[in-house]
Amino acid sequence: MIDLRLGPEEEMIRETGQAFARERLRPAMREHERRGSVAAEVVRAYRELGFPTMEAPESFGGQGVSLLSKVVLLEEIGWGDAGAAFALEGAGPGLRALVELGERDLCGDLLADPACYLATIVDFAGRIAVREGRLEGRFPFVPASPKGPVVVLLPEGIFLCREGVRVSRVEGCGLGASGASEVSFDGTPAAATCRDPAALVRSVAHARLFVAALLVGVARAATEYAMRYAQERVAFGRPIAHHQGLAFLLTDMATAVDAARLLLWRAAFAPEAELERLSAWALAEAAEAALFVGPNAVQVLGGHGFMKDHPVEKWMRDIRTLAQLAGGRDEAELVAAECEAR
Amino acid sequence: MISFDVDEKLAQQLERVRTLGREFLRPLGIEADRKGEAIPADHPFFETAWRLGIGRLGPEEDEEERPRSGERTAARRGVVLGEELAYWDRGAAVALPGPGLGAPPIRRMGTPEQRERFFAPFRDPSRPRWGAFAMTEPGAGSDVAAIRTLARKEGDAWVLDGAKTFISNAIRAEWIVVWATVDPSAGRAGHRAFVVEKGTPGLEDMRAEHKMGLVAYESASFTLRHCRVPAENLLGGERYYESRAGFKGAMESFNATRPMVAAMAVGIARAAYDAAREFAREHFLLSRPLPRHRRVAEKLARMARKIEAARLLCWRAASLADAERPNQVEASMAKAFAPAIAQEAAGLAVEVMAEAGVRQDHYVEKLYRDVKAMDIVEGTGQIQRIVVARRLLGYPASG
Repeated sequence: MIDLRLGPEEEMIRETGQAFARERLRPAMREHERRGSVAAEVVRAYRELGFPTMEAPESFGGQGVSLLSKVVLLEEIGWGDAGAAFALEGAGPGLRALVELGERDLCGDLLADPACYLATIVDFAGRIAVREGRLEGRFPFVPASPKGPVVVLLPEGIFLCREGVRVSRVEGCGLGASGASEVSFDGTPAAATCRDPAALVRSVAHARLFVAALLVGVARAATEYAMRYAQERVAFGRPIAHHQGLAFLLTDMATAVDAARLLLWRAAFAPEAELERLSAWALAEAAEAALFVGPNAVQVLGGHGFMKDHPVEKWMRDIRTLAQLAGGRDEAELVAAECEAR
Repeated sequence: MISFDVDEKLAQQLERVRTLGREFLRPLGIEADRKGEAIPADHPFFETAWRLGIGRLGPEEDEEERPRSGERTAARRGVVLGEELAYWDRGAAVALPGPGLGAPPIRRMGTPEQRERFFAPFRDPSRPRWGAFAMTEPGAGSDVAAIRTLARKEGDAWVLDGAKTFISNAIRAEWIVVWATVDPSAGRAGHRAFVVEKGTPGLEDMRAEHKMGLVAYESASFTLRHCRVPAENLLGGERYYESRAGFKGAMESFNATRPMVAAMAVGIARAAYDAAREFAREHFLLSRPLPRHRRVAEKLARMARKIEAARLLCWRAASLADAERPNQVEASMAKAFAPAIAQEAAGLAVEVMAEAGVRQDHYVEKLYRDVKAMDIVEGTGQIQRIVVARRLLGYPASG
């Protein structure tokens, strides 16, 4: 029967994730952003909890945990520091693609080195081309470690590149903790390829849900912070939260985050036939909600919101950056529209 | 434990509502809209529905509300069936016989004797009956604490004076749960609920309002002029109100009905989506590579996504209600969100059909008019936000 309350397993994972986010990520958030990387001991601690590959099959070091549990966890990580998520996870949004490619060893290698993580590129806009198994083109922005391998999801299939990829550091708007890179392919050979369309759908869906869960987490963080601030800050003789203009805005922010989370859970539960549409919805809704919340959280704090003394300016930048990943909001909305036309 | 599936019993109930909707609610709703008149109380459909048990209280009715064993599921079934009824026609669904919104206060506040007496006509299979709930007044809508209908005790009776408006099914009702105040300066503490039975002298000036949409059921206004109500019709008896429970009783029944009304908005949105999608397919709007047609697919996708998000908010509020957990915030979030997206969806459906969308012989035109009410009844979108803000932000009660 219909029930939208989490079960005990998901609750346990949520609580563990929340504790990690609160104790290890939040306090170091600015430090990680400034350094452009996540402290090795934090990465090790996260990986020791078994979180990175927990939703993968057991042969990939997974624990057969549901995708729902994973998105519940990622919301908490996004709440702590979405930028750190990519470094913590190792394979991150590209995990399902590695599973489809059968790259067991690479999964293990990624987890062994705290400074190494996978770059996942989702490109349905024709910036990367494939000719005779070789990749051409330049991808402008991806949260990536300069030494990691690259997995590329294209309409033609899934491609893994280990060598011959030029990864150069760029500065991003947000997600500073994971660092950002431009990735160039110049006749780069694919070390592994999978052209099964169903595998591609599963891989892209996983990447979308990964990003959507982080978006929900950051949006929740920003909403909570703005709500607390608005109850403390007094203007015209009362807390600003008690002026109706802000009270309504804040309740709309909270509702938008909840609606996005529920669609995320729905997509994490989707049967394979509905995975493409529901994962596109989840990312589109999470992006829409977060892009509404981020700038408004800054607005609630006024001038203080614009200053780095408060985290809302970081979250606004993180949200803007996240909403471009895994094909972003536009691609998600286009895919959903294509599903309507079928 | 998360699940998005309906159980077997609900699946069967859904199937029955689908049949009822396809064969009766949709055609009757359209007919009423064209004629500009509510479905008459003596329409044979209501007798058929009543015979089938729709709206009629069975002996197991109280059991369903609170089963002695097993999981409580009434709230979840309520939102799923509410969505389905409104999908076929929200106006015709509200016109269906039964105690309606009068049932929750009687069930929650009434003494066993009152429950027995007022529910008895709704267990009688011989002819359909209606109940009604009257809170709104010409001068008190969202601000329910401001009602001015006055209740005075006179011997063994209460005398009511005032006026009520926008009351669904009041003209044909066996009884109306009327909210009045014994002291307008006391706010909520002065509120009392009375069951005013049909034919009570002083229940006067009953007239049907003219609405933009949802024509299939009557919304009525009426006057209470020295209307004498027996003391035993004060809901819960005098002692019930000694602890300020009166207003709370009404508000608790809103918590139960808000997710349901939100779900009905979802049903209307889904009807708009289906009509627009069907139109798009019939006119090959989705198979031609024209920019305008790309916009059609995008609009349909947005409607479908928002409908699912709103539905999940309703399901969440209902899941909590069935678990007997507080759900005030979640119920109001659903009620703030769903009607707004339903309004958007109905508008997008009109746009998908271009000029054809505003023709009265297309169903979406009717939906566009019908759906607006959903953001107004059972607490406007603004009231829902105030309820949420009180809980999450400590927003003051007087704000």
